[in-house]
Amino acid sequence: MSTVTVNDTLLLANDTLLLDSADRLFGDHCDQSTLDQAAAGHFPEALWQAIVTNGFHQVARQDSGVALSDAFHLIRVAAQRGVPLPLAEALLAARWLDSDGDEFLAIGAVGTDGRATLPWGQRAASCLALTAQHTLCRLDTTAGSQTKNLAGEPCLIVDAAQQAALTTDDNPLLMLALAKAACTAGALEKTLALSLRYVQERHQFGRPIASFQAIQHALAVMAAEVAAARQATDAAIAMLAQPRLEFEIAAARIRCAQASTLVAEAAHQVHGAIGFTQEHALQHFTRRLWAWRDDYGSENYWQQVLGRHLCELGATDADNIWDFIATRY
Amino acid sequence: MSQFPLNSLPPDSSALRARVREFVAANLPAGWRRNSDFMSGYDADFSAKLGAQGWIGMTWPRQYGGGEHSYLERYVVTEELLAAGAPISAHWFADRQTGPLLLHFGSEIQRERYLPSICRGECFFSIGMSEPDSGSDLASIRTSARAVDGGWLVNGSKLWTSFAHLNQHMVTLVRTAPPSDKRHEGMSQLIIDLNGDGVEVNPITNMAGRAEFNEVVFTDAFVPRENLVGIEGEGWQQVTSELAHERSGPERFLSTFRVYVELIRLLGRTPAQHQAAAVGRITAQLMTLRRLSISVAGMLEAGQTPNLEAALVKELGNNFEKALLEMTRQAVPEQGDRGAYEAAYIESLLLSPSITLRGGTREVLRGVIARGLGLR
Ligand SMILES: Cc1cc2nc3c(=O)[nH]c(=O)nc-3n(C[C@H](O)[C@H](O)[C@H](O)COP(=O)(O)OP(=O)(O)OC[C@H]3O[C@@H](n4cnc5c(N)ncnc54)[C@H](O)[C@@H]3O)c2cc1C
Repeated sequence: MSTVTVNDTLLLANDTLLLDSADRLFGDHCDQSTLDQAAAGHFPEALWQAIVTNGFHQVARQDSGVALSDAFHLIRVAAQRGVPLPLAEALLAARWLDSDGDEFLAIGAVGTDGRATLPWGQRAASCLALTAQHTLCRLDTTAGSQTKNLAGEPCLIVDAAQQAALTTDDNPLLMLALAKAACTAGALEKTLALSLRYVQERHQFGRPIASFQAIQHALAVMAAEVAAARQATDAAIAMLAQPRLEFEIAAARIRCAQASTLVAEAAHQVHGAIGFTQEHALQHFTRRLWAWRDDYGSENYWQQVLGRHLCELGATDADNIWDFIATRY
Repeated sequence: MSQFPLNSLPPDSSALRARVREFVAANLPAGWRRNSDFMSGYDADFSAKLGAQGWIGMTWPRQYGGGEHSYLERYVVTEELLAAGAPISAHWFADRQTGPLLLHFGSEIQRERYLPSICRGECFFSIGMSEPDSGSDLASIRTSARAVDGGWLVNGSKLWTSFAHLNQHMVTLVRTAPPSDKRHEGMSQLIIDLNGDGVEVNPITNMAGRAEFNEVVFTDAFVPRENLVGIEGEGWQQVTSELAHERSGPERFLSTFRVYVELIRLLGRTPAQHQAAAVGRITAQLMTLRRLSISVAGMLEAGQTPNLEAALVKELGNNFEKALLEMTRQAVPEQGDRGAYEAAYIESLLLSPSITLRGGTREVLRGVIARGLGLR
């Protein structure tokens, strides 16, 4: 009746000590000027050093002693604090290269033009890319051009035609996609928090704008979206050891993308013109939300994955549809 | 910390789920058109059969006919019945609201009188709150109960009372004291016999052509003292204390589920891109809402009162139920045997306006959420 399960429990965020200390560290090392500096193209060296000193750059490695699920939660916490680094990629690259060094490592995706775009690739000791076939390759980054992506990160663009394959037991697309869901969940929470604070501080017509029902309702809708995105992401992380992981990740990515569109729009609306400025923190988060919707499988890609699976199930027997939804976990 | 801790269903829930599926397959009335909306099928016989299985009042004490099961087991039964589109309206409000209300606030006599027969699927309750001039502003109700020897004389009217024309009893919110500047005071909950003297029930046909809700008019209807639920004057607190139960269940996101199933059936193995995308989008929301709802069930099981979380589930779920119809409309193929899809779609579309009204309107819910966020 229900899917066979490999693992009998959900992998809940359990290393609260790790997550709390990561949260504190990111909070201490990641202020407005860190974000602005990074957006201006300066690698946040002090922040990276602090991450290395605490060993957080190694948490996703097989022998790190940290559950992989907690590594994804750490990625979420980092995004919530606004860490202006592709930390998710750095952690997964260390896992796949089995690197115990302190270098910064980057991962990018190969586009339809056969070129890989690597956020902060110019600062990386080694670079990997996810190919169009969803495999990994190592990149030679001696010759590349520079660009900036939607999230505002400086990127290296490299021809990925003739590169060496890298094998791993993981499904790299799934890991990277899940990492982006984790990032999104964190950034959504921050965007909501920024908005909640702003509407209580900002006064118009002699009272805080939070007292207007239209604003209250906008925030209520945002809160609901954020809760949904977070739940879908937590679920996908908790299902890391389950056979239906791919579909849980698809659901998380779809739900996160949907929330991102709505929350970014509403956050800018309640912030007024100040939120439209480069100097305001909001844009760091909303730009990332926009970008991450389509990283490592676009929103449409994940909708196709999940939708086609359901159609396949339903074509065999319509009762399979509900059976798929009504999982125990 | 997330407001919604992840939760899984108990290990033995799979067996329970299988039993419900078997039961539904064997007992759905002949020719029954499945509809997952909790208000779309009233069948006292079916409720009695469910009662015989022990699936009404599942969480209540055995002493009153309940099964002392967890909220999560109840969740499994409820979602299976809804997904299957079984007729469950008859016992719905008694099972979801009246039982818990009586367990919290009712007298021993009331519990013994009503709970066992609710569990058997024989005793059905309506909820009498809204009035002609009181909808969202529930505290403005005017139906009055004037104290007389041995009880009250009730005058006034209730409106939109679901299934009052079929159920035996109604938990009725009335004013036992005239309104004062403390507008939430002076209200009480009375159990009123819907077949009693001075009670007139007038069915109202909804836009789908069905008579499900009613006007209930009281003219000097006598209600004995023993029918007071809880404490006189504390009706408001009693009503609002149960909201988390009412707002977060699977009925808040499965109302239009059959339309999604019929769409997938129609699409077959080879959907076009936009059709697969629509199915994927709906599925992702469904999966997520179910997790949120199960999370709230876990909080209820732990004895918490997650009112904010329940409001969030209703907000997300009700909007989704409506959006589902538009997503399927955009994706439905022009060709193929569309009969079953269209029947489900039209039925759901015609009920869709009620989705964000009943049980607290979308605007009221957003106000509740805003309060939970500290904005009011
Ligand atoms: C199918 C169905 C079944 C029902 N069954 C029952 C039942 O069994 N028992 C029962 O007691 N009631 C029942 N109801 C009534 C239901 O609870 C009310 O419809 C609901 O509370 C809204 O009240 P109203 O319809 O009077 O709308 P109103 O309160 O008049 O609202 C009209 C519109 O104004 C908005 N509005 C009102 N106040 C505010 C505000 N302060 N800020 C912003 N917007 C506001 C509302 O959100 C809504 O959009 C049922 C309703 C339906 C549709």
